[in-house]
Amino acid sequence: MNYVEPSSITELMNYVTTVEDYRCLAGGATLVAMMNVGLVEPELLISLHKLDELKGMRIDQNVIRIGAMTTHTAITDEDRLTGNASLVRSAAGQIAHSAVRNMGTIGGAISHADPSADFPAALTAANATIEVLGPSGRRVIQIDDFFVNYLETSLTEKEIVMAIMVPLSPADAIGHHLKFSRVDGDYATVSVSLALAMEGRICSYARIAVGSVAAVPLRLKEADDILIGSNLEESEIARASELLLKSSDPIDDVRGSSSYRKFLIPRLIRQAVLQSKKELSYT
Amino acid sequence: MHVKQDGSKYGVGISMPRRESYEKVSGSAVYTDDMVLPGMLYGAVLGSDYAHARIKSYDTKAAKALKGVKAVITAADFDMQRCGMLIKDEHPLARDKVRYIGEPVAAVAAIDMATANLAMQLIEIEYEELDAVFDAEEAMLENAPILHEERDSYDGIVASPGLHNVASYTRCQEGELDVWETCDVIVEGVYETPAQEHMYIEPCSTIADIDPMGKVTVWSSQQSVFIPRQLTAEALGIPMTKLRFITPQVGGAFGGKCGVTNQPVTVALALAANAPVKLTYTRSDDMIMNKSRHPSRIYMRTGADSSGKLIAREAKIYFNTGAYADEGPLIGSVATFFSRGPYKIKNMNVETWCVYTNRTKAGAFRGFGVPQATFAGESQIDELAEKLNMDPFDLRMKNMVATDDKWLGGQNIDHGTLPGCLKAVYEASNLRERPKQQKLDNNKWRGIGVSTSAHVSAVLSASAVVKLNEDGTITINTGAVDIGEGADTILSQMAAETLGLHPDDITYTCTDSDTSPYNYQTAGSRTTYVVGTSVTQASVQVRNQIYKHASEMLESAESDLEILPGSFVGVKGSPDARIPFSAVAGRALNQVGGPIVGMHSWLYHNTPFDKETAMIEGFALDGGGVFCFAAQVAVVDVDKDTGKVEVVEFWSAHDVGCAINPKSVEGQIFGGVVQGLGYALFEELVWIDGQISNPSMMDYKVPGMNDVPYDIHAIILETQEKTGPFGARGVGEIPLNGVAPAICNAIASATGARVRTIPATSERVLQEILKLE
Ligand SMILES: Cc1cc2nc3c(=O)[nH]c(=O)nc-3n(C[C@H](O)[C@H](O)[C@H](O)COP(=O)(O)OP(=O)(O)OC[C@H]3O[C@@H](n4cnc5c(N)ncnc54)[C@H](O)[C@@H]3O)c2cc1C
Repeated sequence: MNYVEPSSITELMNYVTTVEDYRCLAGGATLVAMMNVGLVEPELLISLHKLDELKGMRIDQNVIRIGAMTTHTAITDEDRLTGNASLVRSAAGQIAHSAVRNMGTIGGAISHADPSADFPAALTAANATIEVLGPSGRRVIQIDDFFVNYLETSLTEKEIVMAIMVPLSPADAIGHHLKFSRVDGDYATVSVSLALAMEGRICSYARIAVGSVAAVPLRLKEADDILIGSNLEESEIARASELLLKSSDPIDDVRGSSSYRKFLIPRLIRQAVLQSKKELSYT
Repeated sequence: MHVKQDGSKYGVGISMPRRESYEKVSGSAVYTDDMVLPGMLYGAVLGSDYAHARIKSYDTKAAKALKGVKAVITAADFDMQRCGMLIKDEHPLARDKVRYIGEPVAAVAAIDMATANLAMQLIEIEYEELDAVFDAEEAMLENAPILHEERDSYDGIVASPGLHNVASYTRCQEGELDVWETCDVIVEGVYETPAQEHMYIEPCSTIADIDPMGKVTVWSSQQSVFIPRQLTAEALGIPMTKLRFITPQVGGAFGGKCGVTNQPVTVALALAANAPVKLTYTRSDDMIMNKSRHPSRIYMRTGADSSGKLIAREAKIYFNTGAYADEGPLIGSVATFFSRGPYKIKNMNVETWCVYTNRTKAGAFRGFGVPQATFAGESQIDELAEKLNMDPFDLRMKNMVATDDKWLGGQNIDHGTLPGCLKAVYEASNLRERPKQQKLDNNKWRGIGVSTSAHVSAVLSASAVVKLNEDGTITINTGAVDIGEGADTILSQMAAETLGLHPDDITYTCTDSDTSPYNYQTAGSRTTYVVGTSVTQASVQVRNQIYKHASEMLESAESDLEILPGSFVGVKGSPDARIPFSAVAGRALNQVGGPIVGMHSWLYHNTPFDKETAMIEGFALDGGGVFCFAAQVAVVDVDKDTGKVEVVEFWSAHDVGCAINPKSVEGQIFGGVVQGLGYALFEELVWIDGQISNPSMMDYKVPGMNDVPYDIHAIILETQEKTGPFGARGVGEIPLNGVAPAICNAIASATGARVRTIPATSERVLQEILKLE
C-alpha cells in the first residue's frame, strides 16, 4: 500500500484519475479501523490533510460553508453555527467521545454514509447541500439526494466531498439533535434531528429527519407539512410521527430490536419537538 | 501508622499513592505486549468456524510453505493433553472435536503479523458438523447433543454427576422441605443474568522464549505465575523445571486471566519454531476465545410469614459454562453457598447445575457466582416487601445475619458486620426522608433501591519471603501478582508498618515462578488477607532478628528496644543509643548468625460445613470463612418514554476490618460499583446461532464516564477482623455483588416495573413498563 499527501487540487485529481484502487483518508476514524480488520485494502491511500480548500468554515450569503476536513470538535466549538445551522453543532458534540471527535471529519462521516451516524440525519434536517469535485468538475448535491442506501452515496466514482453548505436561515430557527443510545459515546439506537421555528404560537418552519431507522436518514415532506402552520399540539406531532413511523424500516441489532426502535420513533420525535417548542417560547 | 522525622505519616492506614502509579500514568510501565525480544516471531490463533464438529483432517502444507512462516501447529503436532483447574476437559488447541465457534484449532508463528494472518487463511481443516446446543436447560435434555462424551472419565477434583451435559451439580439443603404452607406470602420468579465480558484494557498476551538448554521463559498477563505454569506443564507434558513464568505489569484481569489463557499455545509455538514468540489476542479474539462471566437462569421462590420473617427459600440455578468447565463447578458451589444471602432463612433447598453448551466458556469473574445469586435473592426480598406492604429496608433489618449467627451450611459468622453497613447507607443516603417514587420533568421518574451482599475473603495457600538488605532496606517477595488492584502497595505498607520503615525503603520483586514463593492466585478477594498475613508474619521474623542483634550490639534487653524513624533501632528513652539497620545487616552477614530472612507459609483452613444440620452434595469447596458484608443504595431516574435508566447517586458501605490503604479501598469500591452498573444495565455478550454477535468494544458497551453517577459514596467501616493482618478483610469483589439488584429495585420503586433479566437495557425496562400500562 502506498500513501500520498497531495497539497493541491490538481495533484489530488491527478492521483484520483490515474489510480484505480485508492481511498481518501480523512480523520481515519472509520477507514483505519476497516483496514485493521481487513475489510478494505486500498492500493493507495490519499490523505486529504494538506488541502487548504477542505479546511475551515466561512459564511457567504447566509450559508455557512464547512470544509470537508473540519473535525467534529471544530464544529462543536463553532459559535457561528446559529439559527438553522445550530443543528449541526448540536449533532457534532454528541458524536462518540472526544478522541473520535478530534480525528473524525464531517466529510468522512457523510462519505461513509452510515445511517446510524449523527451527521447524515442532522444535515438532512438542516437542509444542507454538498459540494463535490470530480474529474468532470464541481457540482452540488442536495442532501435529500446524497444518501442512496446503507453505506452508499450518490457520489460517482472518483468524486470527492469538498464542503458542506448549511443555511443559517431561518435565523430564528433552533436546531436539536436528540440522540438516543445505549451508553454515552455509542452510535444512536435512534436519533431525531429537527430544525424548528415559530411565529407566535404557530410553527413557521419544520424539518425533521430520523436516523438509525432505515438505510438512509428518514425525512418526509408530508410530515414537515403537518407541523408547519400548526400549533405543534400533541395530536399534530402524533400525526407527523405516525407518517415517519410508517416509512421506517429499522433493523434488529445489538443496539435494539426493530420493534423497540419503532416504539422510540414517535416518543423521541415528541420529546424533541416539545423540547424545541419550549425553548422557542423562551426566546 | 508511623510518623517520619519530617512529620509525614506512613505505614498501614495511609492513603499513599500506588507504587507503580507514575509508571502507569506516564506510559512507561511495561506490559507483556510492549516487550520485544531479538528474533521474536508473532503468533496468531485460528478459531473454529463451527459450534460443534468433529475434526476430520488438517492440511497445513500451504501455510507452512508461506515465506516467513516459522511454525504451524495443531493438536495433532503436539501430543497436547487435556487440562483444567477443576475438570481436565480442555486442550489448548482443540483435539478431535471443536465445541464452540472460535475455539482455537491451529496456531501460527511468523516473522510478522501480516504473514501470520495470511498463513491462517491457508490452513485447511476438514470438519464433520455436529448438532449444537446453546442453552443450559436444553443441553440437559436427553436428546441434546453431547459435548463431552468422555466426561465421566475425565480427571479432576470434581466428580461427574452423571447427568446429560452437566459438568457439575451442587445441592445444599437445610431445615424442612414442606414448609410452604406455613408461609403467608410467597414470591416466585425466574431471573436471568448475562455473560459479562471482563473487558480488561489489556487483552491476553504472552511471550515465550527458549534458552539453549531448552528451558522456556514465559512472560504473560496473568493472575498467578504458578497456576498457568502448572496447567501449561500438564497440557504440553513439560516438567516445571523447563518452564519459568514471569508477570510484567498487568492491564486488568478481573478473573478473566485466572487459570490459563494463551500461555500453552505460545509455549508450543516457541518450541515448534525454536524461537521466541509473542501471541497477543486482538480484542475480538480475546472476547471470543477467552472466558466471560457465567450466564445464569435462576428459578427462585421465597416465603415469609405475615410479620416478615423469612421462612423458606428454594432455588434451581442453571449456569451455562460453555464448552469447558474452567472454574464453573467452584463458581456453581459459591453461588449455592451465597443463595440464601446474608439472611436467616431456616429452610433452604438450593440446587445448581453447571452445564456444558456450545459457547465460549465461562469462568472466574469478580464476584465468582455471588452476583448471579444476589441478583435473584435481593430482587425477591423487595418483591416480598411489596407483597407484605413492608419497607424493603425494614425487611432486611429484620432478617439479616449478625455476629455468631450461622451461614448457610452451618459456619459461624465471627464478625457480623452487616447491621453496621445497613445503618451506614441508611443514614448516608438519608433513606428515611427520601420518597420511594418521585415524578420529575417530562416522563421521568425517580426511585430508590437497596441491596445487601456478602463474600468471603480467604482461600488456599500463600507464602512470603522478607529479606534485610545490606544497606538496611527490605525486599519482599511473594507470589502475589498485582493485577492493578494495588497489592504491591499494600503489601509494602504492611511490611513497612511491621518494620517501622518508610515504604520507599522497601522493594518488591515481580512474580517469577523460579524465585517467588508459592501463592495460589490473585482471586477470591484473598491477597490482603492471605498474602498479607504471610508478609506481616515474615516481617515480624525479620524484626525479631533485628532486635536480637541490636540487643547484643546495644547491650540492652530486647524488651527495651524500639524501632525509630529512618531505619534505626534504639533503646527506649536513650536517644543516643541507637544503630542503623545497615549495621545490623552487616553484623549478620559478616560476623554473627548469617543473613536475615523471614519466611512464612500457610494454608487457610475453611471452616467446614456442619453435616449435622445441612445436606451438602457436590460442593467443590469444603466450607467458607472470613465473611465480609456490604450494603448498597441506588437512586435512579427512569424515562418512561424510552425505558432508559440513569443511576444518579450510589452509596456502597463495606466493613473491611482495616483499610490498609483507604484510597485503594475506595478505588475497589468505585471500580466494583461501575463494573456492577455495567452488568446491571448494559453489558451482555449476545450469541446468534452460536456466534457472538458483538465481539468488539464498538458493539459490546461498558459504561462511559457520563453513564456513571458523579456521586458514588464509598463508605468504609472498620470492625477489626480478629484473624486478619492488622485486622483486615478483602474488598476486591464484594462491591460488584449487589449493584444490579439495588438498581433493579430502584427501577421497580420508580416505575412499578420489575426487571428480572439483566442487563436492564432500555428496551427491557420499557417492555416491563408497557406490561403495566
Ligand atoms: C469508536 C468510534 C465511535 C464512533 N461513534 C460515532 C457516533 O456516535 N456517531 C457518529 O456519527 N459517528 C461515529 N463514529 C464515526 C466518526 O465520527 C467519523 O465521522 C467517521 O469515522 C468518518 O470520519 P473520518 O474523517 O474519520 O473518515 P475516514 O475514516 O478517514 O473515512 C471514511 C470513509 O470516507 C471516505 N472519505 C473521507 N473523506 C472523504 C471526502 N472528503 N470525500 C470522499 N470520501 C471521503 C474515506 O475514503 C472512507 O471510505 C465513530 C467512530 C469510531 C471509531
